[in-house]
Amino acid sequence: MMPFGFPCCKSTSMLISEEMNNIRNFCIIAHIDHGKSTLADRILELTGVLHTTDNKQVLDSMDLERERGITIKAKSVRIPYKSNNGRDFILNLIDTPGHVDFNYEVSRSLQACEGAILLVDATQGVEAQTIANAYLAVEAGLEIIPVINKIDLPNAMIEDCRSQIQDMLGLSGKDALLVSGKSGDGVAELLEAVVERVPPPKTDDNAPLRCLVFDSYYDSYRGIIPHVRVFSGSLSKGIKIMLKSTGKNFEVDEVGYFTPALVPSARLTAGEVGYLGAIIREVGDIHVGDTIISPDFPDTPAVPGFRKVLPMVFCGIYPISTNDYPKLTLALEKYQLNDSSIVYEKETSAALGHGYRLGFLGMLHMDITIERLKREYGQDLIATMPSVIYKVITRKGEKSEEIYIDNPSRFPEPNFIERIEEPIVATRIFVPNDYIGAVMDLSEKNRGTLKNMEHPDTRRALLTYEFPLAEIITGYYDRLKSVSRGYASMDYEFTGYKPGPLVKVDILVKDNQVDALSYISDRDSSVGKARNLIHKLRKLIPRHLFSIPLQAAIGGKIIAREDIAPIRKDVIAKCYGGDISRKRKLLEKQKEGKKRMKMVGSVEVPQEAFLLLLKMEDEE
Amino acid sequence: MQALSIEAEKYSGTAFQTLYLGGGTPSLLQARGVKILLSELSSIFDLSHITEATFEANPESLTPALLESALSAGLNRISIGVQSLADCELERVGRIHNAEQALQALEKASKAGFKNISADVILGLPGQNWSSLQTTLSRLINLSLQHISVYCLSVEPHTPLASNLPADLPGEDAQANLFEMVIKLLAEAGFLHYEISNFARPGYECQHNLNYWRGGEYLGLGPAAASHLKGKRFKNHSDLEAYIINPTGQLEEVEELAAPDKAAEEVITRLRLLNEGLDIVALSEKFGTVNIKALSDKLDRLTQKGYIKHEGGRFRLAAEYALVSNSILFQLLGD
Repeated sequence: MMPFGFPCCKSTSMLISEEMNNIRNFCIIAHIDHGKSTLADRILELTGVLHTTDNKQVLDSMDLERERGITIKAKSVRIPYKSNNGRDFILNLIDTPGHVDFNYEVSRSLQACEGAILLVDATQGVEAQTIANAYLAVEAGLEIIPVINKIDLPNAMIEDCRSQIQDMLGLSGKDALLVSGKSGDGVAELLEAVVERVPPPKTDDNAPLRCLVFDSYYDSYRGIIPHVRVFSGSLSKGIKIMLKSTGKNFEVDEVGYFTPALVPSARLTAGEVGYLGAIIREVGDIHVGDTIISPDFPDTPAVPGFRKVLPMVFCGIYPISTNDYPKLTLALEKYQLNDSSIVYEKETSAALGHGYRLGFLGMLHMDITIERLKREYGQDLIATMPSVIYKVITRKGEKSEEIYIDNPSRFPEPNFIERIEEPIVATRIFVPNDYIGAVMDLSEKNRGTLKNMEHPDTRRALLTYEFPLAEIITGYYDRLKSVSRGYASMDYEFTGYKPGPLVKVDILVKDNQVDALSYISDRDSSVGKARNLIHKLRKLIPRHLFSIPLQAAIGGKIIAREDIAPIRKDVIAKCYGGDISRKRKLLEKQKEGKKRMKMVGSVEVPQEAFLLLLKMEDEE
Repeated sequence: MQALSIEAEKYSGTAFQTLYLGGGTPSLLQARGVKILLSELSSIFDLSHITEATFEANPESLTPALLESALSAGLNRISIGVQSLADCELERVGRIHNAEQALQALEKASKAGFKNISADVILGLPGQNWSSLQTTLSRLINLSLQHISVYCLSVEPHTPLASNLPADLPGEDAQANLFEMVIKLLAEAGFLHYEISNFARPGYECQHNLNYWRGGEYLGLGPAAASHLKGKRFKNHSDLEAYIINPTGQLEEVEELAAPDKAAEEVITRLRLLNEGLDIVALSEKFGTVNIKALSDKLDRLTQKGYIKHEGGRFRLAAEYALVSNSILFQLLGD
């Protein structure tokens, strides 16, 4: 056992007080479904922070998160812990989002820690996001504790995992701890390891206030509540703070920590993790990754790694009824308060009226946002086809210009376009041997270029592909899961732009070009995809009293067409004395049903038709 | 029947223009029953001005005695549930009678002295096509009927048919085609398509039903019977036992709409009358101009689109849209 006080405390420039010595800031990083949340629950239970009477996962408080089995918003919990040798510690467990879409938020949460538990599912081994997250942790300079989870399952392959941890991550596999998040086995030992191996926070008592904002959420009374890690100085009620990126000043109203409920406290000092309330109302005033400093020391350096949110996927959102536009506006404002990584701006479509263009970090982010908007804000929404940001090089005579466009309906005339470039992502795919062929076929169909294939173990391959991001966002992940019976996993990152044989496809409903439905496709598969889309649309749009041609066109040329025949007969039944009321009520119901349709010209289009475009799935 | 009398007493003394014995299968009443019933009703109500009194019957239960009794009791119109004259079709939908019986029933009615005879036909029966339907209709026409009702088969949930949907059930478009041919055939034979589902030789339109479509008042007696009196619509529970025990306490679904809604309801039913249509001036007199303003605008809009014709002061559903009336009429409701 280390004697009280570490060797470095002898240095005069780094005085570590007894309190700081007993703090351990750490997180759990893992691939999806490797048991992060369950382990977090066990830790909270074991340390007495929470008594879960059922098996609910505590840190995933939002319904949607539980449904999808994923963590979206990071949260932190302060855990008082008495180690085996009787010392009191404060463990700050910072939960991190596990999905590739939210890499930035993960990296900011990691920045707030000194250590990371790298969790690997014993039955799955190292997977795509295990690697991605491990890299992030290494970049952040964290002490990594590899842990193998789910050891209680019969098909646990512990030795394989140890080798993979060693070979693929360069970490000590043979020392990896064994736990079962479900039964609690090994968790006590894990906590001891955290206390022993994760270094205490380094602090400099002479330095001015410097904190990292690694998350935030919105409280209707208190405004935006940032989650903060204090690096130097201290926060308490009444002090003035400045947000480095915007230069805005605020006065601290309250500080405290999470249990995970908010518990106010007198101060938060260097090394600690908690929250502050400063009645920050505007979304633009605070950003994840920002640094909080004292206005008296404006030159205090920012915590490195801050960047403005980079949306990758865009779509248009329109209310079904034009009357609901103000409600949508309000809903988006409120939504952004809790999720500052959403960007949006007004957009108008000749076909759909007034709406918004929303930018997301990725497909999952988009799915969740639209789902949440519908649920929490009760919005009847339609969303248009998702798009990436294209780089369009135009040429008008001598003049050449480079423009970035996230909305296909805004593309310039084809004859002005010299070249279209699209964002490319480098993708890591883990796939069991049985499905390698299927995954390679799928990837080829989606314009993937195989860059590398290796075998991390005898059961599976690691394929490295280059994909146009546009292919990934149209349901590739779901198809990957489907062809591999759920066993494949993937991770991707943006690597740059490349020119592509791309064309703009327009959709016409009853001779009206619906600007909001235009999308960009690669030339080769454009006809097939368009036919598929038109065919599906035809099934979703109900018959009207007139014929409805549905067409897809490139430039002026029609590449696909199907006609929806007019309705020839509705109900012809008796309408006598006892039937009149009922008949009227039936017609009233019919009228109500129409309200859920969006008028596109004279054609009523159901919400489902637009959602179809969002997915753009292949034929079943 | 006693129960009916008790319920009727509530409205003692009211005068009526038409009478309709229907709802279930009145032909089960048999000769004596009909006589007694009509006699009772005559003593309670003022039936001296009745111009049309209809008796509804199924082919298998019509006897000369019953017909005789009905006529002498004052019934002057008979409606027979033929459905089809193709035995295979009748069998497929579980009908007790066959074509022969149906034809005989019609003959008997005519022989007994009924001058106003109507037959119900169903379109869309399993295996039915134009050939079989044309045969059914032609044979009916040859029997010199005055009135034919044509309904599309509706498969009710929880019925044997519903749980075993036949593969040769004509689809929606096929039904539409058949109906168009029906209209043409009946027109050539001199039948007026006076209501979406009803065809009659001139002068033989069903007065009782016309009253329904024109938004008129009516009184229904018995279980499940519906009424429209003093601006209210109401219905009796359908429970027979309960009705017998307490004939006057079976009210359910009492509805009184606000004037604009009543007007809309009347417009919807009147537009079912393809020739007569709707007189907007009369309507505004009945309900008040302010109450039909919105309705009037909607009618104009539908007229612009061509679904409704506005001629000679009257609005009529355009003939080619008769079969899709629901899709047009619902637009007249609400805001």
